[in-house]
Amino acid sequence: MVEVMVPIGPQHPALKEPVNFRIYAEGEKIVRLELNLSYNHRGIEKAAEERNFIRVLPLLERVCGICSHSHATAFTKGIEEIMGLEIPARAQYIRTIIAELERMHSHLLWLGVAAHEIGFNTLLMWSWRDREAVLDTLEEMSGNRVHYNMNEIGGVRLDLSEKQVAAAKQRLPVLEERIAQYLDMVSHQETVLLRFRGVGKLSKEEILKYGAVGPTARASGVDNDARRDDPHLVYDEIPWKVVTDTSGDVHGRTKVRIGEVAESLKIVRYCLENLPEGPVRVVSAPKAAPKGEILSRYEAPRGELAHFIRTNGTDKAERLDIRTPTLANWTSVAKALVNQNLADIPVIVAAIDPCLSCTSRMTVIDTGTMTQGSITWDELVRKCRARYGMEAQP
Amino acid sequence: MIGQLTVEQVAEAMREYGPAEQVRKNRIRVNTDPQKIIDAISAAKQRLGCDRLILISCTDDTGSFGLTYHLTGPHRTIISLAIAVPRETPQVLSASEVLPPAAIYERQIHDLFGIVFPGHPGLTKLMLNEGWPDGEYPLRKDWKPEKGKSYDGAAREGA
Repeated sequence: MVEVMVPIGPQHPALKEPVNFRIYAEGEKIVRLELNLSYNHRGIEKAAEERNFIRVLPLLERVCGICSHSHATAFTKGIEEIMGLEIPARAQYIRTIIAELERMHSHLLWLGVAAHEIGFNTLLMWSWRDREAVLDTLEEMSGNRVHYNMNEIGGVRLDLSEKQVAAAKQRLPVLEERIAQYLDMVSHQETVLLRFRGVGKLSKEEILKYGAVGPTARASGVDNDARRDDPHLVYDEIPWKVVTDTSGDVHGRTKVRIGEVAESLKIVRYCLENLPEGPVRVVSAPKAAPKGEILSRYEAPRGELAHFIRTNGTDKAERLDIRTPTLANWTSVAKALVNQNLADIPVIVAAIDPCLSCTSRMTVIDTGTMTQGSITWDELVRKCRARYGMEAQP
Repeated sequence: MIGQLTVEQVAEAMREYGPAEQVRKNRIRVNTDPQKIIDAISAAKQRLGCDRLILISCTDDTGSFGLTYHLTGPHRTIISLAIAVPRETPQVLSASEVLPPAAIYERQIHDLFGIVFPGHPGLTKLMLNEGWPDGEYPLRKDWKPEKGKSYDGAAREGA
């Protein structure tokens, strides 16, 4: 049997990150999948050991451009717990507002990317237009569109003025209306249903076995959310609910994400309306943290983020171990692809974001003769047509 | 939702593996031996319903490496099984058999700390580039980049 390896990335116009997938297929069936992340190891964990708590936060925001607030908050709240600091309520509310706005812009970005992958570019344009409103709010509040840099040990860097709060509230009704529209659209729109329903299915048992997190897990009925399971910020004080779905496919993941945007909007509105008065940081937070260890969990847009921090009595972390949600999700996605049809790769892989259009770079390994060579796109098309008994076109 | 586990329940279920202590509100830590870790994970899975591995954290404790397996389940309590792996023989059996998600974290630890996990289905590079020199483990405390040495690993054509 000829085993075919399809390499995708690391340099590929459709990939948003430098990652390499090697998909091995026997005939039409995917046998296994390998992942190589090794193109952009930036040594952030090592660099974090060298910086004090003030200098490390801007570095940690750069772990991820989309979830910058997630990483900074996970670290800050871990250090604060080791220090035993009581954070003012207003600061916690502001952190929550930024966190939920971040979730909104991240999910709206994903919705646009997912829509683009199925050729539904109208939805891409719409959802990215609405994402701009969220980014404008974040920029007004923090001065930045991406790296908000709102956190500091003991509170937040900036307070919200009445004007900022009013401007943010003003944007919410239009957004709310549009989100409801998208939720309605993905439940009825034919392109979405055709391309998302029944694709990339993961059962509840598989999710539990392979340890997926975030919307991927919640779309398969796994009711895990670190915001409720390990309460942080003000999630245990305010009304909100965990969004889940039972379909377990790409369609379910889309519905969960849009549902979460709607839920985040409600959280943001509640926090803006009930923003407590008072200081936004503790008076003179300590520079150094006592010796200790903590596992700080945070629900980032893509799922549960975990920072394992060890402090040694100085103003620097002795060890920071970051487990991002994507790493946790990878095992289940790789298993979900096994035994699927080769023709389904584009849709399933598109569901986790990257894309596949470089099949002309295929390497064919003949396991019988152990010879290796390349196959052109035309040759592949010819072979596919021959297999399905279709006539070869000139 | 099932109620949180108490430290007594954990101590009872894990008594043959080591003492349990409550570190914080829902964090319980059990220190055990590297030889017992796989059995300890299985016991936590069966007796305490820990079906999720959050992460395996690794620290360089100079004389040894500290591995901590953070497990949780429907009870929303985090059970951290901690072991110390000797520096001279950095080897621990792979937990990927009992907990498949462990495989990807073990690959990461193998890259960055040089700990070997016998029984792992494919202990290949995950984080560091293909041309990264062998025997260099960047997150070890005694590791310093050598001046003039290339770590980028980009193989030149024909080289």
